[in-house]
Amino acid sequence: MTTDDGIVYNRSLLGVENITGTFEVTRDMILGFARSTGETYERYIGDTNGKGDISAPPTICNIFVTGLSRPDIELEFGELSFFAGQSIECKLDIKPGDILTGRTKLDNVYSKTGRSGKMVFTVWQTSFMNQNSEIVALVNESFVTRNKNA
Amino acid sequence: MNSKTLYFEDVDLGDEIGPVERIITDEQVIEFVKLREIEFESGPSRFTSKEVAISQGLTEAIVPGAMNIALMSQLLTGWAENVCLLKIDVVFRKTVPHNTTLIFNGIVTGKNDDSGNNELECDITMQLQDGVKMVIGNSVISLPNRL
Amino acid sequence: MLLDLHTHSTASDDSRASVEQYIKWIHVLRKKGNSIDGFVLTEHRQFDHDVDYSGLALENDVTILKGAELDTDTGHFLVYGVNEQITTRIDFSNVTMDAQKLVDTCLEFKAIAIPAHPGRAGIGFAHHLENGRKGFLSIKTVEELNGSNRPGEGEKAVDLIKTKGYMGTGGSDAHIVSAIGTCMTQFDIKVHNEEELVQALLNGPFKAVRMTDL
Repeated sequence: MTTDDGIVYNRSLLGVENITGTFEVTRDMILGFARSTGETYERYIGDTNGKGDISAPPTICNIFVTGLSRPDIELEFGELSFFAGQSIECKLDIKPGDILTGRTKLDNVYSKTGRSGKMVFTVWQTSFMNQNSEIVALVNESFVTRNKNA
Repeated sequence: MNSKTLYFEDVDLGDEIGPVERIITDEQVIEFVKLREIEFESGPSRFTSKEVAISQGLTEAIVPGAMNIALMSQLLTGWAENVCLLKIDVVFRKTVPHNTTLIFNGIVTGKNDDSGNNELECDITMQLQDGVKMVIGNSVISLPNRL
Repeated sequence: MLLDLHTHSTASDDSRASVEQYIKWIHVLRKKGNSIDGFVLTEHRQFDHDVDYSGLALENDVTILKGAELDTDTGHFLVYGVNEQITTRIDFSNVTMDAQKLVDTCLEFKAIAIPAHPGRAGIGFAHHLENGRKGFLSIKTVEELNGSNRPGEGEKAVDLIKTKGYMGTGGSDAHIVSAIGTCMTQFDIKVHNEEELVQALLNGPFKAVRMTDL
């Protein structure tokens, strides 16, 4: 492993695409996500009986993108990691019964300073494709690692 | 949430979205985290346990970032029933506490119908009552034309 | 002349506003009766010598200048009048660079580096001085008003200014479109380019202002 900026991590992972998994989107999943975030529109929660056509709220892909499904970049810095930012581009509606395949790649690793002291940011680009090979969402995510007592 | 309908022609630059006030309870966070089964099965976390949060240098349990972006997107999709969210892009500047009044605001900063999509650009923020901004970002939404 | 001396475009990792969007918003602000003549792009840890906003500036009657916000061993600094003599001597991507060297190099090569958000916890100049940091006798100006300050941070900046007799600038620290112009610096003279900005900051007079107070 080599570094610049004093950041030590597995640089061979940069730009390498990994499949994070295949996920089935169920009606219960959509309703659970909608309920937990307080959605009230029928298009997400169905009618008063919970029936009818529904689509997933736009950010539902977050259910499928967790730290456990990304490669460990072996970053030698910091004790804690937090979500630093995210963009989600919604290409198509996600419906019950969709099977989504997620692919992710490490885009960038860099450091900066802030109120919490020195931080290292790790940026991932993830795409979700449905069973018809259509891209349904493009997700960019940034995670920040820092020391605990910052 | 409003059950209103908005049209592209009715929106001007500078139009405000919200404010919407919300309080995210411990129960709502637990329900959200349960959906990400792997995370939930690994036991209490800084999202669901004050003790774990404190052990990680935080002062209290926090709302997951993934839930925060869902709440931010709701500011937009809740503006009107016919809003279509095309893109949302946020930066988490500070951890968000449970059981605290959160204020969501948006403002229309751009209007573009060149692509035929009737796109509106909006700034969006989540802040506490003292004005401290926890999450900032922007989004692109689409509204239909009035027929 | 009113200039927002601290803004970030999408060239900065944590900004969500493009230069074009800022310009469009300035037109909206002016249409609402607000005054703002332009802004300085102070991107994080970088400077692009090649990007040229003069055409956009002229078309839109908005002054657009370039600077940088750098991370140092004594907090963040805003740098105005960046030129190649500076970028060949200072690595802008180094988050622990020597702030005294930065300040001295800027003065030597006709630029100016001023502490950004000096009252901010952890990365504010005031914090470092309180912790015993010495030097910086050539600093005469700090950022007094920052649109992204949290409660207490602005007050700490003002205390520092009063204690040290500094002059104070204003900038929004905008990372989203609608934040631009919330805090600005008011100059008594016209500032057309980065060289004139440096001279105006070295010599004064100017003051930090909030758009809502104008």
